[in-house]
Amino acid sequence: MGIVAKKVGKSFGSPASRVLSDISLEIADGEFVSLTGRSGAGKSTLLYILSTLDDPTEGIVEISGLNITKMNSEDLHHFRNQKMGFVFQFNYLIAELTAIQNVMMPTLKFQEQTKRRPHAEELMEKFGLKEKMDRYPRQLSGGEQQRVAIARALVMEPHYLFADEPTGSLDAANAQTVMSILTDCSVKQGMTVVMVTHDSGFAKMAQREIEIVDGKMIVDVEGKK
Amino acid sequence: MIFLAIRYLLERRRQTVLTLLGVFFGTTAFVSVSGFFLGFQGYMVQQLVNNSAQVHIEARQDYLGPHDLDSSFFASDVGHVFWTPQPAGVKGYLGVQSPEAWYRRLDADPRVSAYSPILTAAALFNLGSVSVAANLIGCNPAQQAKVTSVANYMITGRFTDISTGGNRLILGDELMKRIGAGMQQTVLVSVGRNEAVPFKIVGRFSTGSRGVDLQAYGALADVQKVNFTPNRVNEIAVRLQDYRDADLLARSWSRLGPERVESWGDLSQNIKSVFSIQTTLRYFMITTVFIVAGFGIYNILNMTVSQKRQDIAILRAMGYDTFDIVMLFFAQGLIVGVFGTLFGLVCGYLFCRYLQTISFMQASPSNPEGHLHIALDPFIYLQASFLAVFSTAVASILPARAAGKLTPIDIIRQGG
Repeated sequence: MGIVAKKVGKSFGSPASRVLSDISLEIADGEFVSLTGRSGAGKSTLLYILSTLDDPTEGIVEISGLNITKMNSEDLHHFRNQKMGFVFQFNYLIAELTAIQNVMMPTLKFQEQTKRRPHAEELMEKFGLKEKMDRYPRQLSGGEQQRVAIARALVMEPHYLFADEPTGSLDAANAQTVMSILTDCSVKQGMTVVMVTHDSGFAKMAQREIEIVDGKMIVDVEGKK
Repeated sequence: MIFLAIRYLLERRRQTVLTLLGVFFGTTAFVSVSGFFLGFQGYMVQQLVNNSAQVHIEARQDYLGPHDLDSSFFASDVGHVFWTPQPAGVKGYLGVQSPEAWYRRLDADPRVSAYSPILTAAALFNLGSVSVAANLIGCNPAQQAKVTSVANYMITGRFTDISTGGNRLILGDELMKRIGAGMQQTVLVSVGRNEAVPFKIVGRFSTGSRGVDLQAYGALADVQKVNFTPNRVNEIAVRLQDYRDADLLARSWSRLGPERVESWGDLSQNIKSVFSIQTTLRYFMITTVFIVAGFGIYNILNMTVSQKRQDIAILRAMGYDTFDIVMLFFAQGLIVGVFGTLFGLVCGYLFCRYLQTISFMQASPSNPEGHLHIALDPFIYLQASFLAVFSTAVASILPARAAGKLTPIDIIRQGG
C-alpha cells in the first residue's frame, strides 16, 4: 500500500506563499526514497506532510491505504506511535534521560515497555552502544547521539521511517554509519524509508531519488539499487 | 509522563527547590497565621462563652419612647400629644414572667445542654466603714457550674459551698480586695432600701476580668430573700450543646414570650467585628503569599516549556498527544505543589506546637502557664492543602496548556 500523495500543495501565511504545488507520488512498501533539492525548495515540508507531522493545504495523503488528512487525532497519534519512526538533523534526545531511557520513550505511550525492552537493547548492541546504554546524551559523541536517536525511531519496529537531514550534523565517518543503518532498514527489514538530504552522494544510496525544485517535483529517478 | 516529569524536576534541582519553597512558605504561613489568629479567637470565644451564658433570657426592660404613655393618658382620637418634659425611664418587667414555662421548654430542647435561673441584684457590700456597690448574683450553684466556667476559677473554697444556703457568699477577687474582706468573714449586704443582711464569705474566685471579678455569688433563695422578691428570677442563663446555635435559638426564642433573648454574640458585637477583620486580614495575607508562590511556579514552568520545546517536538512525533504534553508540565507543578504543601503542613504544625510552648500572655486560672493559644484544627490544614494545591494547579495549567498547543512542525521549523 505504501505512501500515496495526490496533488498535494502547501501554502503559508497571508498573503499565501506557496511552498509545494501539485505533488503526486507513490512510495511503495519497503522502498528507500531520498528527497533532494536546494534549501527552501520544499523537500522538508513534503517530508513532514508525508509523515503526518504537517497538513497539506491541498490534496490528500494516504498511508497504508488510510487517508491521514481525515484521520482523527487519537487514531493519528496511535498510528504515528505504532507505524512511524522519525530521525531529525538534530537528535532531539531528552537530556534528562539516559540513552536507553530515550530509546524506550516511544514504548511508554501505550505501556509496551516490557514487550519492547529486548528489542531496544538489541538495537543498542547493533549500533555499538551496548556499553553506553546508561549514559546521558551529554556523555555521548555526536555520532553516538544520532545512533541513539535512530534506535529510538526503530524501537517500535515501524513500517515507515522518516529522516530529515539525518547526517546533516555529523562528520563523514558517522554520516556513513547512519546511512548504512538506514539502508539496512530498507533492504534487510523491508522498512519504507523517506529521507531528506542535501548530500547528492547519500541521495544516490537510496533506491529512488526525488528532486524538488521550487515546490514542484521535477525528477523522479527509480530503480537505482 | 509522570516519570519524565519527575526526571525534569530532579535534573533542575535548584529551580525545583526554589519553586517548592514558595509553596512551602505559603502553606507554613497559612497554618501558622491561621493557628495564631484562630487560637486567639478560640480563646476569646472560650472566655466569652464559658464565663457567661451563651443565651440570656432576661426580663425585658425598655426605655420609654416619647409617645409610649399617650394612650394611658389620652383618648385615641387625640391627634398628637406634646409632652413637657417628655416621658423618661424604663418600662417592662422586673422578672421573667413565666419561668416555669421556660424551664419546661428548655428541658425539652435537645440543643440545650444546661440552664440556670438567676436573680441579679445591685447590692451594697459593707464591711466596717467600707461600702462597695457590686452585682449580687443568686443562682443554684450546681446548675450555674454547668452553664458557666466560674467554678473553675475558684481560688479558695468550692463554688458549691453556697448551695446549702444560710447566707453564704462567694466573692470575686476584685470585690474582695475592694472591701478588704477575708475568708469566713461576715459582710453586710443590702439591696435598695432594704435592711442589710449579714452574709459569710465562703469562697473566692478570680477570672482575670476585672468586671467579672467585681461580682458576688449567693444561693438563689438567699438573694431572693435579701431582695424581698421570693420566687423571682430576672434571667435564665442557657448553655447549648453547640454555641454556634446561639444566634439562631435566641432569635427563635425571642418570639415565645415578653422576655428579651440575646445570644453571646449579640452581646459581643465589637469582638465579632474584630474577628471578622482578623479573618479578612488572614485571608488577604495568605492569598498574597499563594499568588506570589503561584507566579513563581508559573514563571518557572513557562521557562521550562520554552527550554523543552525540542522535547515536546520529539514527543509529539513519537505519538504523544496534547493531553500527554499538558500532563507532563501540569504534573511538574502539581508534584511541587503537593510536596511543598506536605512539607509546609508539617513545618507549620511544628511551628504551632513550638508557639504553644512560649509564654506570651499573663497567667490566669484557665491558662496558668500564660501560653499562647494556637489552634490545631484539622480544618486549617485541609484549607491550607486545598488553597496551596489549587493555586499551584492554576499556576501550572496555563503554561502546560501552552505547551500542549505547540505542534512539532512549528517547533522544528523555528529550529527548536
